[in-house]
Amino acid sequence: MALPNQQTVDYPSFKLVIVGDGGTGKTTFVKRHLTGEFEKKYEPTIGVEVHPLDFFTNCGKIRFYCWDTAGQEKFGGLRDGYYIHGQCAIIMFDVTARLTYKNVPTWHRDLCRVCENIPIVLCGNKVDVKNRQVKAKQVTFHRKKNLQYYEISAKSNYNFEKPFLYLARKLAGDPNLHFVESPALAPPEVQIDMAAQQQHEAELAAAASQPLPDDDDDAFE
Amino acid sequence: MASNDPEHEHTGEEETSAAAEEEDTGAQIAPIVKLVEVAVATGEENEDPILDLKSKLYRFDKEGNQWKERGAGSVKLLKHKESGKVRLVMRQSKTLKICANHLVISSTNVQEHAGNDKSCVWHAADFSDGELKDELFCIRFGSVENCKKFMETVQEVAESQQEKEESKDASSTAGLLEKLSVDDKDTKEEVKDSSDAPKTEEPEKAADSENKEEETK
Repeated sequence: MALPNQQTVDYPSFKLVIVGDGGTGKTTFVKRHLTGEFEKKYEPTIGVEVHPLDFFTNCGKIRFYCWDTAGQEKFGGLRDGYYIHGQCAIIMFDVTARLTYKNVPTWHRDLCRVCENIPIVLCGNKVDVKNRQVKAKQVTFHRKKNLQYYEISAKSNYNFEKPFLYLARKLAGDPNLHFVESPALAPPEVQIDMAAQQQHEAELAAAASQPLPDDDDDAFE
Repeated sequence: MASNDPEHEHTGEEETSAAAEEEDTGAQIAPIVKLVEVAVATGEENEDPILDLKSKLYRFDKEGNQWKERGAGSVKLLKHKESGKVRLVMRQSKTLKICANHLVISSTNVQEHAGNDKSCVWHAADFSDGELKDELFCIRFGSVENCKKFMETVQEVAESQQEKEESKDASSTAGLLEKLSVDDKDTKEEVKDSSDAPKTEEPEKAADSENKEEETK
């Protein structure tokens, strides 16, 4: 089967399967890592979307092929087919929706039927929201099934790197593996002609009047 | 639900008490790769930082006509120790991935953002992904002072680059003439003869190859 974005690379790569109920933030989490953006609009994923995601570590560059699967039953598609050859996984639930946590055992069972003995991270997403329905202390499933648990927020970036860091450490068997600064290559010289310059200025003037997406939020690192 | 529940607060305090959360409850699983520690290069070894500020960066999505977050972390202005060139480099905190990487040149023009006095905007040919891309950036700081400092420093750098370019002008014109003469040997003498930039009189062949260069950029 020809899959998108599955070109081979000359550094270690891993198939990461991301599952969980619809609307828990799987796609938003992946997008956050890919482009930095935070998508507020909910558009259910149909079937699966595969995104390569690179990280730089003290042991070199690594890649996760993120299999971002549909959470909604009706858009599910292949299901088991997506899990085949999965080397690590994230199970996501939404701490503001109790049912999404109740369904975690089902996702876990389905995943483990296909992928035996792979490192799995359970993520409780949206911890930035004031009205939590699932408190940290109520999350116990990971202890029974030997999963790692992280409370995360794709919105505030709280712990957003932890799931990948944990999985990378397990896959490499190196508890000291850590992310390092990726090399900032020297940007080449650019020649800008007057016409292009004027166009940029005009576009910039128009953009400068557009509000920022999170203007109200003053807290950032 | 009580709003003063400590679990609802995600402050710095929570970050430090997160140690309990760090406990590894995962199963013992055999690793599937063996990775060896490698030498790490930031690419910034030959540069000195002249500015380093916490900030949040946005890029303008022209299709959607909206700003989109690009990353939050430290924005740095780095001056090369030999060439004196200055570039802007910003990395996402925690993952340390690059979200902006471009030269500050004489035409770099930073302007205020209309709706937010802690933020400003500019255009750049950005090299974050290893290929040049036209981007409109907006950056937001924690304070008006930091934003001002950023704008002033970029402005100063742009002006100093302008001066450098002017002093180099004579030599670059000579370089251009030389290039043209290499591009088209038949008209070598013609080109050499003219002391002014022979833009309008360029032989066809030379003009063609120049155009092609432009297109591929």
